[in-house]
Amino acid sequence: MQTRIPLLVCLISGLIMFAQYFSSHPVAKSIYENVLEWWQIIFAFTLLVGVAAFIKTNLKSISQKKDAPYRTISLLGLVLMPILALIGGTKIDTPFLWVFENMQAPMQATVFSLLAFFVASASYRGFRARSIPASILLVTALIVLIGRVPIAEFISDSIPKVGFWIQNYPSMSARRAILIGIGLGSMTTALRVILGIERTYLRGN
Amino acid sequence: MKTRWIIFAGMFVIVVISYLMSVPFETQPSPEIQKSFDFFESLPESSVVIFSFDHEASSLPEIQPIALVMLRHAFKNKTKVIGLSLFAEGTAIGYRMLNKAANEYGLKYGRDYAFLGFKPQHISAILGIGESIRRVFPEDYLGNSTDTLPIMHGIDNYDHIDMVVTIADGDRPAQWIEYGGANYNQQIMAGLTAAMITSYDPYLASGQLYSVVGGLKGAAEYENLYGKRGSGNRGMLAQTSAHFYVIVLIIIGNIIYFRNRKRQGRG
Amino acid sequence: MWLNVSTLPTLIFSLISFLIVLYTIWSVKSGKKFKIREIPGLKAVEEAVGRATEMGAAILYTPGWGGDIQRPTTIASMNILSKVAEKTAEYDCRLLYPTHDPVIMAVAQEVAREGYARAGYPDRFKEEDIFYISSSQFGYAAAVDGIISRSKPASVFLLGTFEAESLILAETGNSIGAIQIAGTDSTIQLSFFIVACDYTLIGEELFAASGYLSGNESILSSVKAQDILKILIALFVIVAMIWATIDPSSTWWKF
Repeated sequence: MQTRIPLLVCLISGLIMFAQYFSSHPVAKSIYENVLEWWQIIFAFTLLVGVAAFIKTNLKSISQKKDAPYRTISLLGLVLMPILALIGGTKIDTPFLWVFENMQAPMQATVFSLLAFFVASASYRGFRARSIPASILLVTALIVLIGRVPIAEFISDSIPKVGFWIQNYPSMSARRAILIGIGLGSMTTALRVILGIERTYLRGN
Repeated sequence: MKTRWIIFAGMFVIVVISYLMSVPFETQPSPEIQKSFDFFESLPESSVVIFSFDHEASSLPEIQPIALVMLRHAFKNKTKVIGLSLFAEGTAIGYRMLNKAANEYGLKYGRDYAFLGFKPQHISAILGIGESIRRVFPEDYLGNSTDTLPIMHGIDNYDHIDMVVTIADGDRPAQWIEYGGANYNQQIMAGLTAAMITSYDPYLASGQLYSVVGGLKGAAEYENLYGKRGSGNRGMLAQTSAHFYVIVLIIIGNIIYFRNRKRQGRG
Repeated sequence: MWLNVSTLPTLIFSLISFLIVLYTIWSVKSGKKFKIREIPGLKAVEEAVGRATEMGAAILYTPGWGGDIQRPTTIASMNILSKVAEKTAEYDCRLLYPTHDPVIMAVAQEVAREGYARAGYPDRFKEEDIFYISSSQFGYAAAVDGIISRSKPASVFLLGTFEAESLILAETGNSIGAIQIAGTDSTIQLSFFIVACDYTLIGEELFAASGYLSGNESILSSVKAQDILKILIALFVIVAMIWATIDPSSTWWKF
């Protein structure tokens, strides 16, 4: 019973959501929009679960004096932002938005820009002419890298064109092939879940 | 570990020095940039375009030049812009960019442009705009009733919108295409980070996506067409230097690899 | 109208796919056996857990920022987590699972708990090692990076839907010398994983994991169905390509 009811709910919901996609009837649209709204409401409650788990984990670590200063700052951030939002709102020129624009946004942009450094180290390590396919990859990467900057046109008109051709033909074909595989894999996984063959999400069995 | 730190330090030095210098770059606009530019040039006055700010704060350094130059071009051609956001972080940032560009042309909020704010259920919002924008956004970001905004008079759904421009760093353009484009035949244009451009090549090839302005280079090319350099052009020297630095690293890495292989062969 | 005619091609293809999947499942029930080729990334799971045990270090497993629980990629990742949890329970190895989504956290806790119970060591399961960090992409990436740098896991599993944070995590794992097994449904992030990780599950290899690791015949049969569908798609592409070359004005293949 503990397993059968969720499986039945999964099957019925899956079939309904599958069927509504192919219908332009107002009933089908209404079902879809209602499900989306309920999804948002459920998502909001799951955030509460996350917040509770976050607070519990951090308080436990603070009591065990593990990274206490950092965990304290995390908890302060978690508490401060909703207070600022409740007091001043979240629109323009509010304290909440000031903290977001002057602390969170720069921190996020900083972590994102780590990518530039990691791309450099990954390229240094990864693009080695170990074999013929690796050499072809190396030359292709060099052409595309040069083709993406303005100076390429000064070196040769052909470089951006070749780079463009590489991205739009051989690279796109390979990507489409992988995407087809991923699409089919996603479809069969979803079908297995709907039909109840795949039950890992249900208590791991 | 030491090699890694040398690589990182080199990248840091090169990008900082390049960014502090100012070297103008003339670039040939790519077909996509030219198509995007020509679209706004061809719009009659008082056409209406939606700009949807669907990006995070982290991609702002790359997204902002794209958004600003396109907004400036739209306002220069007296196109009316309705801004909105389907990504929470893009809301305030989008409003600021919209205001900044509009103020440069002395435009009036509510008459020449408006910002409708953020809608959390993005698929529902995209579908809802096809029926009635007012139902999806009964109030704008500043709390005014949408009905009271002069720009919204006669604007009810996609039938009255000439283009949706989605400024994004993720998969929102795909949802605009799949729901707005597929169900309502709405034309979609995207302003994207460079990393996302290749993801949308299939949509461009099939015509589902009208055009793309991508990355800092896209912003720089658009700025050159628009006639006023901005942060897109400013970043070109740094981007070029970084690319060449990576090329040099690859070459050095291969030289070291072959030298070691030779030594092992001898040994 | 009850049927949206513009979606008819999608409906027909979907029904054909379902019939093929149902046929392969029925074949299994009538005794047919399906084999799956060796997938290096999945074969290395045991090696990765063993390495962590030898070194006395933890295993870090994370499903990425890009997906939520209903995504097939996340479900495929949970299937692998189930097996990894079973192995870590057997070898008494610590399993760290940071995630960006509270629902994924809750499901992962249950999946891991069941894995530990199946291995016969339910008391070794630690709920606090599977935890929620942040829904913000780079808050999550920064936190996982910090965990990798400080706890220095011997093995890192990056299996799920990743976006821009993929290379940040993979390079950090590489910098501490961890063995890394990665798999994602994003073709862009796959390129980063191939460069930075030891094993990468490409395309549908990630979705075949469930059948590969468990040997469950019903699941293997759906993998077989995927192969049949791929052959049909390839045939269609070849026929359409030849037809469009001979008759460029034809449109039957455009839908």
